Formats: sequence, C-alpha cells, structure tokens
Amino acid sequence: MSTEPEAPGGAASRPPLQRADEPAVPAKAPLLEVEDLEVHFPIRRGILVERTVGHVRAVDGVSLSVQPGGTFGLVGESGCGKTTFGRAVLRLEEPTAGRVRLGGDEVTALRGERLRRFRSKMQMVFQDPLGSLNPRHNVDMLLAEPLKVHGVGSREERRKLAVETLDAVGLPKSVLERYPHEFSGGQRQRLGIARALMLRPDLIVCDEPVSALDVSIQAQVMNLLDELQDEFGLTYLVIAHDLAVVRHLSDRVGVMYLGKLVEEADSSQIYERPRHPYTKALLSAVPQPDPEVEATRERIILKGDLPSPANPPSGCRFRTRCPWAEDICAEVEPEWREAATGHRVACHFDL
Amino acid sequence: MALLEVEDLRVAFGPATAVDGVSFAVDEGKVVGLVGESGCGKSVTSLAIMGLLPKRSRGNGRLAPDTEARAVTVEPAGGAEAAESSPAVPSAPAPRTAIGGEGRRRGRGADVDGRAVFDGVDLLSLPSAAMRRRRGRDLAMVFQDPLSSLNPVVPIGRQITEVLERHRGLKGDKAVKEASHLLDRVGIPDPARRLREYPHQLSGGMRQRVLIAIAVACAPRLLIADEPTTALDVTIQAQILELLRDLVESEGTALLMITHDLGVVAGLCDEVNVLYSGRVVESAPVRELFARPTHPYTIGLLGSIPRLDLPMDEPLRPIRGSIQDVIRWRDGCAFAPRCDRVTEKCVAGEPALVGAVHAHRCVMAEEVA
Ligand SMILES: Nc1ncnc2c1ncn2[C@@H]1O[C@H](COP(=O)(O)OP(=O)(O)OP(=O)(O)O)[C@@H](O)[C@H]1O
Ligand SMILES: Nc1ncnc2c1ncn2[C@@H]1O[C@H](COP(=O)(O)OP(=O)(O)O)[C@@H](O)[C@H]1O
Ligand code: SF4
Ligand code: SF4
Ligand SMILES: [Mg+2]
Ligand SMILES: [Mg+2]
Repeated sequence: MSTEPEAPGGAASRPPLQRADEPAVPAKAPLLEVEDLEVHFPIRRGILVERTVGHVRAVDGVSLSVQPGGTFGLVGESGCGKTTFGRAVLRLEEPTAGRVRLGGDEVTALRGERLRRFRSKMQMVFQDPLGSLNPRHNVDMLLAEPLKVHGVGSREERRKLAVETLDAVGLPKSVLERYPHEFSGGQRQRLGIARALMLRPDLIVCDEPVSALDVSIQAQVMNLLDELQDEFGLTYLVIAHDLAVVRHLSDRVGVMYLGKLVEEADSSQIYERPRHPYTKALLSAVPQPDPEVEATRERIILKGDLPSPANPPSGCRFRTRCPWAEDICAEVEPEWREAATGHRVACHFDL
Repeated sequence: MALLEVEDLRVAFGPATAVDGVSFAVDEGKVVGLVGESGCGKSVTSLAIMGLLPKRSRGNGRLAPDTEARAVTVEPAGGAEAAESSPAVPSAPAPRTAIGGEGRRRGRGADVDGRAVFDGVDLLSLPSAAMRRRRGRDLAMVFQDPLSSLNPVVPIGRQITEVLERHRGLKGDKAVKEASHLLDRVGIPDPARRLREYPHQLSGGMRQRVLIAIAVACAPRLLIADEPTTALDVTIQAQILELLRDLVESEGTALLMITHDLGVVAGLCDEVNVLYSGRVVESAPVRELFARPTHPYTIGLLGSIPRLDLPMDEPLRPIRGSIQDVIRWRDGCAFAPRCDRVTEKCVAGEPALVGAVHAHRCVMAEEVA
C-alpha cells in the first residue's frame, strides 16, 4: 500500500528557515575538505564543426568534509553523480569548479609531478574487481605496480610489503603467482583492496565496494573494510546505492540527487530522523528481511524516473517526484541549511 | 493439487551440474520465492520449467526441442535472429561440481531430468510446439535485463500486439487498443506515444514494465520473474514490486519470484525455497522461515545482511569461504566446507530434506529441532 503523504499544513506560508550561524565545531581538523565541487561534462553535437550544446551537470556544487579516521557515505540512485564526485576528489576527473583539500594541501591546485606524487595518499577501490585489475598481471605484479610507479622500495621490500598486505586482507602469500581470473568475486575484491593499500594511503575512495558481490561475501568485505580502517588508520569515502550498506559502514552520510547533496548528517541521525523527502522515500523503498515489518511498513512510492542531469528541474531538483512539492518548489531553489546541529538539508520545509 | 509441481529437477551442462534435484510447488494465486546466491541454480530452474534451455536430451531418449524457442516469452517480431541472440540463457561458465551423470547423454546443451507438472501436464515432456503455445499464454516470464529481452529494432507497440495476435487472436486496432490498455495497466504514462517508441528510448524501469505488460498480456496463470528488479534503482524497484503485488492480488496470477534479496522475499512471498548448490536446503511459509530459520545457510544469509531495522552497531556475521568451496551432494552436505556446525555426520552421505510444512536439509538441525 503506497501512501501519498500530505503536504505539511501551512508550511508554505512560513519563510524558509535561515541557516544556523555557527556550524557545530568539529573536534579535529578534517582530513578531506571539499568545497562547492562541480564537474560538468560538455554535450557535443555536430559533424563538421563540433559545438557544445549543453552540459551534463554530473556534480553541481557539493561540499563536505571527512574527519581523519572517519567514514563518509555518499548514497543516491544511479546517475546522480557519486562516481564522478569520487573521481574528481582524487583528480581522476578534472573539476569544473570548487576546491578539494586533503590534510591541508589543496589537491585541486596540484599539477604535474607534485600531483603524481600526491596520488599515493589517496587511492580508489572499484565496484568491478575484475575490470580494475590487469588480467595479464599476476598478483605479485599487480601489488608491486603502484609502488614501482611511485619509486618505493627495492624488489625485496616491495615483496615483503605485498605479503604483509595480502595477510591484512586475508589472502595467503601463495596467491602471489596467481592471476585475477583464478579468484572468486570476493577474493578479487580483497585483491583490489590490497592494491589500494600498498601505498599506505590516508584516504580510500570505495566506489560500490560490495555491490557486485553475493550477500554472504558482501558481509565479509564490509567486515574487512572495518578492520583495515583501524589497523591502518584509514579515512574512507564510501560510495554506494545500498542504504543499508552505507549505514553499516559510515559515521556520516550524504544523500545525493541529480548532482547535489540534499541531506547530510551523522549516520544515526539520518536513518532515525530523515528530514528530506527524497531521503524518506529512499529509506522507505528498501525492503526489510522481516515479513512482520514488511506487512506494516509505510511505503512512499515515488512517481516517475530521475530527470536528466543535463536539464535539471527549476527550483528544487526533486520537485518532479516529490510528494510534498508546492508551488514555491518550482520557483525557488531551497537553501542548504542546518536544520539541527550537524544535520543539513536542502528543502523549503521542515518535515 | 498445486498449479505447478517441480519434482526432482536435474539439469546438467555436460559434466557440470547446475540443478541437482530441486523440488517445490506453486499453488494457484500464490507467490513462491526461490532465493539463493549467484550460481545456485535459480535461473536454470526457471528456464527448465519454461522449456527455454538450449537443446535438451532426456535419459529416456525423447527428442530435444528446438533452441530458438528460448526467445523469452516475447518471441519478438524480429524473428529467429533476435531470438538467438537473446541472453536469456546465462553464458557457459566454468564447470563446478559434477554429479553422477550415469546413463545421461553429454553434449553442449542441457540435460534435463525430473518433472515440472503444470496443471496436470509434465511440461518437460511436452513436444516443443505444444510448449511454445503454452508459453506466453499459460505461463510467462520476466527477466532481469529488460533491454536484452526486447527486440531493439521493433517498436514497443508491435512487440505487444504480436503476442496479442498470436495468443489471443487480436488484430489491428483492437490489438493496439489492448496494448495501450496494458501499458496503462502497468503504470506507463502516455501509452499511445510509448507504443511507437523503441526500447532504447525507455528507462530501465519502464522497460521492465513493458516486459511485465507483455508477460501478463494473456492473463497467464503463472508468472515467473527472474530477478526482475536487480538491475533497477531502489525507488524504481519499489514501483515494480508494487506492480507485481497488485497483479497477483487483482488477477490471481501465481508468481514464482526468483531473487537473491531476502527483503524482497519478506515483502512479497507466501512461501520460500532457499537454494544452495542446486538443491533446496530449506523451505517454509514466509513468516515461519524468518521467525525460525533452521538451516545454517539460511541463518548465515540472514546474519550477512546489514539491516535498517536493527541497531547500527549490530555486527555482521558472514558465512566463511565462498560458493566455490563445495562438495558433491551425493558425498555429503554441499554446505559443509562453509558451515560452522559441521560434524562428521554431515559428510557421511546425502542429507535428506526432512519436514513437511517447514522442511530443511541438515542433519544437525534434525537433532536440534
Ligand atoms: N565522461 C563523461 N562524459 C559525459 N557524461 C558523463 C561522464 N561520466 C559521467 N557522466 C554523466 O554524469 C552523470 C553522473 O554519473 P556518475 O557515474 O557519477 O553517476 P553515479 O551516481 O556513480 O551512478 P551509478 O550509481 O550508476 O554508478 C550521469 O548522467 C552520467 O551519464
Ligand atoms: N548454458 C550453460 N552452460 C553451462 N553451465 C551453465 C549454463 N547456464 C548456467 N550454468 C551453470 O549452472 C549453475 C546455475 O546457474 P544459474 O541458474 O544461472 O544460477 P543463478 O542461481 O545465479 O540464477 C551455475 O554454476 C552456472 O555456471
Ligand atoms: S523543496 Fe524540494 S524536497 Fe522540499 S518539498 Fe519542495 S520539492 Fe519537495
Ligand atoms: S548438514 Fe552439517 S554441514 Fe550441512 S548445513 Fe547441516 S550442520 Fe552444516
Ligand atoms: Mg557509479
Ligand atoms: Mg540468475
């Protein structure tokens, strides 16, 4: 049974709330700080003369920060810009605008050799473990490669580090001579993680780290990510579409819709008291493995599909699917405001 | 009697066994789940029931039916070549377990054994022409990847009217009107315009709705859905699940729901069969299964999922190893290499499925229960 929630009574007449003056003071300086990051891809048309006819606004002004040793979970539906954001943070994608700082250094200002060397501090784990590993390289070569690129260690030292890292991800050193196709999906993801760990980075961006894996293997890999975080003092940016996976891994969560954050809060907050209509709808869409819960659960069924990020709706981008939308939502873009301490949301109303 | 009764279904591709003695039943108007991880035999089971597996040969020497019949329920207007390229049948994987292939013929195609009795008739022994007539009319199927189940060069409308003409004898305007009505029924806005569009012009969720529209075009008594929402976003998944729920309720269609998602099972199914390595290891009514999971594999699956309805610090309790760590059922419990409760008894022979309403295939659970 779907429910069409009613618009909050009289909320439209209330002026949009102002952002709190002082945001909660963070205990430590953040390791990763992203400010108004934008990545726009040009859409080109034309046969003889290519013209740019518009832009896909894949990431359209996202700010967030991650504490050292923390995990930030970025969640949203396919095409909302999660991967592009992660890649832009690592400078694998050139940002159109905005700034990224890692441990005080401005990543977005680095060029050439300095950027290349800086990359050892930030690594990525991919969704498709097989696609991200060169099939013609055995594990020994795969793990040594990032070290070679950065000129780290002698052959023996690299090998020693490889064995240590394999041990950390739960693989025996006998796998060194084997090739990616000889491993199961879960083992390949362990290899992908080992490779990202080889340079002992500060930050790892995990893009859908478990979504290609079977349920029982997902749990193994999530537990492994937890253990490695403590062991190596890692900071994670976890990108995933699965809300339960993000909740399990993250202490802070941002919900993305069409290139923008619509809500950001501590994990416990956002799941217990979602404030944005999109977050509410996402949460209500996840089927729970409990028939009693399922029989009584309130479901918010959103109408229609995601609009194109090349041509996002005016005002609030979510308005075409939002069950609470009112006239103002088409005209005025909602402010990114602090609705409660450490809980930011982009909606005209307090729901 | 059940609408569909699958008995001791076995499917082997050469030396590799995909389905190793699966039995379950689907009652009229009920939703029955087949749940398990990738490779456990869910898709092969459903393809065998639909007669969509590549060339089969039977121990008793009956003829193998044609292969092009596996063109989905949609058998698109594009004809045989579109049908041939249909990836409805998973590509050949590395051989895993082999079970005794005594007396069975070997070949590139699938060896199918056992029975799938639908409405009193064993589908597995039907001649291919008879099976083709039933497919799309009495039983229909929806696949995980809607794009490859539709013909890319034929407008949506023609792909629906084809089915209406073949099975219901509807022609011309009547067929178009009915097609438009069907699209409306599955929640596609502006159906008249959509009928003229091609599959690539539709979003993934809309394509899946089109496939469901085609599948229910002839009011089948059984709909088989093989991971119909796995490729979709969670908000679109919610829409499709709502649609399936509604179809089952309003039309009384029985649904065999194939999924790896225990949440989907909990929200949709009346009965559940948990598959492991080609066999049912536990089956029960849905509430019973979640209230008293008995087989260590089922318990392990439930312990592996992070849940939104439990406290955040609830630890995950994964199953160790992977499905590649397996032994042959005839030698003992195939789950033994990954099981926390394994004893010598478990590998002393084939564990039987015990119990009627709530059945499980575990020698240790027997002692506990
Ligand atoms: N190189 C590119 N050129 C043009 N458009 C792109 C490019 N990369 C991504 N896009 C577009 O940017 C948007 C965001 O894509 P992105 O891959 O970041 O989404 P995502 O949130 O990671 O989705 P998914 O969950 O499917 O991985 C999409 O509309 C996508 O088509
Ligand atoms: N056409 C085929 N040829 C050979 N082996 C196959 C074929 N199709 C499936 N298999 C094998 O059969 C087993 C069951 O596959 P499948 O039913 O597709 O699993 P799932 O439960 O993921 O749907 C797997 O080991 C798979 O590799
Ligand atoms: S601002 Fe956006 S999210 Fe908030 S009610 Fe309006 S349309 Fe919905
Ligand atoms: S039979 Fe033995 S190995 Fe198999 S599930 Fe039961 S306890 Fe585990
Ligand atoms: Mg992505
Ligand atoms: Mg399958």
